[in-house]
Amino acid sequence: MRTEFILTFCFFIADILSFSQSIVNSPHNLSASGTGEIKSLEEKEICIFCHTPHTSNPERPLWNRSVPGTNYMLYKSSTIKAIPGQPDGASVLCLSCHDGIIAPGNVLNRKYEIDFGSGAETFKYGKYNLTTDLSDDHMISFFYGSALAYADGELKHPENLLPPVTLEEGKMQCTSCHDPHKNTNKNFLVKTNKYSALCLSCHDKKYWLRSAHENSEARWNGAGISPWIGTAYETVSENACENCHKPHSAGGHEHLMKYEAEERNCLNCHNGNVASKNIEAQINKPYSHNVYSYFKVHNAAEDALVFDMHAECEDCHNPHASYNAEANAPFVKGYNEGVKGIDQNGNRLETVQYEYEICYRCHADSPVKPVSSINRQIEQNNVRLEFAPVNPSFHPVVAPGVNPDVPDLAAPYSVSSIIYCTDCHASNGEDSPAGPHGSIYPGILKYNYTTGDNVTESYYAYELCYKCHDRSVLINGNSNSFQTKIHKKHIVKEHTPCSVCHDSHGISITQGNSVNNSNLINFDRNVVSPVNGIIRFEDTGLFSGSCYLSCHGKIHNPKFYN
Amino acid sequence: MKNITLVSLMILFTNIGIAQITGSKHDFSGNAWNTSGQICIVCHTPHNADLTVATAPLWNHDITSVAAYTLYSSATLDATVGQPGNESKLCLSCHDGTVALENFGGTTSGTNFITGSALVGTDISDDHPISFVYDAALAAADGGLHDPATTSSGLGSTISDDMLFASRMECASCHDVHDNVNGMFLRINNAGSALCLTCHDK
Repeated sequence: MRTEFILTFCFFIADILSFSQSIVNSPHNLSASGTGEIKSLEEKEICIFCHTPHTSNPERPLWNRSVPGTNYMLYKSSTIKAIPGQPDGASVLCLSCHDGIIAPGNVLNRKYEIDFGSGAETFKYGKYNLTTDLSDDHMISFFYGSALAYADGELKHPENLLPPVTLEEGKMQCTSCHDPHKNTNKNFLVKTNKYSALCLSCHDKKYWLRSAHENSEARWNGAGISPWIGTAYETVSENACENCHKPHSAGGHEHLMKYEAEERNCLNCHNGNVASKNIEAQINKPYSHNVYSYFKVHNAAEDALVFDMHAECEDCHNPHASYNAEANAPFVKGYNEGVKGIDQNGNRLETVQYEYEICYRCHADSPVKPVSSINRQIEQNNVRLEFAPVNPSFHPVVAPGVNPDVPDLAAPYSVSSIIYCTDCHASNGEDSPAGPHGSIYPGILKYNYTTGDNVTESYYAYELCYKCHDRSVLINGNSNSFQTKIHKKHIVKEHTPCSVCHDSHGISITQGNSVNNSNLINFDRNVVSPVNGIIRFEDTGLFSGSCYLSCHGKIHNPKFYN
Repeated sequence: MKNITLVSLMILFTNIGIAQITGSKHDFSGNAWNTSGQICIVCHTPHNADLTVATAPLWNHDITSVAAYTLYSSATLDATVGQPGNESKLCLSCHDGTVALENFGGTTSGTNFITGSALVGTDISDDHPISFVYDAALAAADGGLHDPATTSSGLGSTISDDMLFASRMECASCHDVHDNVNGMFLRINNAGSALCLTCHDK
């Protein structure tokens, strides 16, 4: 009988010690037999650190710890629709250790604090200790009802949360994501967060399923800073949300971004170490949308029309939506899917349809828009007005141009073509990633475009223009002598840059007209001067016109061309 | 891990020799209020036992008359907790603090009541629930409990056979009133929370 008893007991002990999914071999076994980093010196019991069978705290279930106070700093964000409250429900139980205030060994049913020796010193911020500042942790203790799901627009209906994620009396609590008794999935997660399966049990981000951050199998090449500190996952797809977000002790606090500096969340991967294209190298060029220059100016909830000048990656890219897909101008490419913009009529858009609508956020009606570097006869810095299809002339960004005959256009361009802003404004270098990230040329231009005066003509001097406007046709003409007369005379012989006569964006109908401002004519006032108070071009038909002005000491009053 | 098993076994061997009520906290032979100087008499009598007390072996102690204890409740509790069953009322006849310790053998006018940490009181909402049916259905509903009908208790048979009373959990599921080898009169040494983890699948 006794032998039988001993054997049974042995089996029993062996059983509980070998449970693979038990609290016994999890870091929550704080008894001396625990295998985790933090454990008591001599305590034999496991459950005691949280539970007692008798004389428990009024908190359930059979709680054996004091309940912490309610002076937590709560999560804040410009985009949350939930109403944050002080921790309650199961969450206060977790915080009775994890806020770092009450020692792990301080339990109610023992006269003396259970001794952890120096082990408790490893209870550090960023690992186990959330501190009482919960502004860098995922929100808890908020009602997650259908109203919240509706208001947010990117949350699952509370009845459709993916199991085993549950709410506690309608509220999200620590226990929605964590099961303190089972560590099967690491960090006591109720399910694995590979491919962000846990996050996506509640979060239903628009566009996410075809985004590159959801689908990319790219891996870190081992250079520079690991983009995935804190996860055991090895591809972009596996890390998913955790590429950029951190559910606890997030460096950026708001939106739980890993890093406080917005661009770091992007550029730790988009530097050639994970993503193949090195955006960081483009930003470091002398002319760039310099995301380093702005810190916490960008706001995810900001107006589509930008009032505080800044450029962050998220102004042009939606990391939940962005995917690798080209498009035909003017339609937005996959890289810029799902971002805000301003349409050609000046209306705010939650989601752009055309790429130029993104540019219009800062370069059109914004009161802080940058100004042109060229001092023109007609000054206009609102590119929305410059590109309007009702204008006397414009580069075909919004609609095909008005000029029915442009003989120098190189294939595949024709007078019915539409081009992107980013065909001209982009990172220089043939293999550089698309988009106006950074360039060695002013204006973030893809190719060199010499302005000013007294420029020796070469392919390089006006490479930007010559990419579409065939150099030999433009200078030497084909069947039409007009090209030779005008372009060769001015550009080659008189060393006059294209920009002296032509305003590359367009001339707004609000300022110009089809007689004086066809063919993008809007003179550079630093080079061209008035004669008798007049500085004017007059269109007199196809390939014919007159100029009234003074240039390089030559008086045109008028000079007629045909 | 091997060490822990060995240590557990050593404790077990050492303790088996002294498994008895004598000298335990339930040995009241030396207490002033127990003028009999006997041990068993506080609860039992060989003759003229109180037959009105159900499930009580030769009962000799005045029985508690509390009808409505404040019961444990919790949002995550799946069991249906009832007023203490007869088995547990025997314990509560001292431990709820309403019946004097010396109220046995017909005495009803005692003045010594239980005090200190042994006093459970009539508010048992801060104590582990008792007097609920613990069966396979409860285990399934809870998700964190072993099936008592198929899980070894470590005491020779299943949890149902060894620890439950007509499928109900009662005080005596965890406590052996006569044997204090494990401390707290626990039936299983709670090192490694082995007693808790007999039922709780955590």
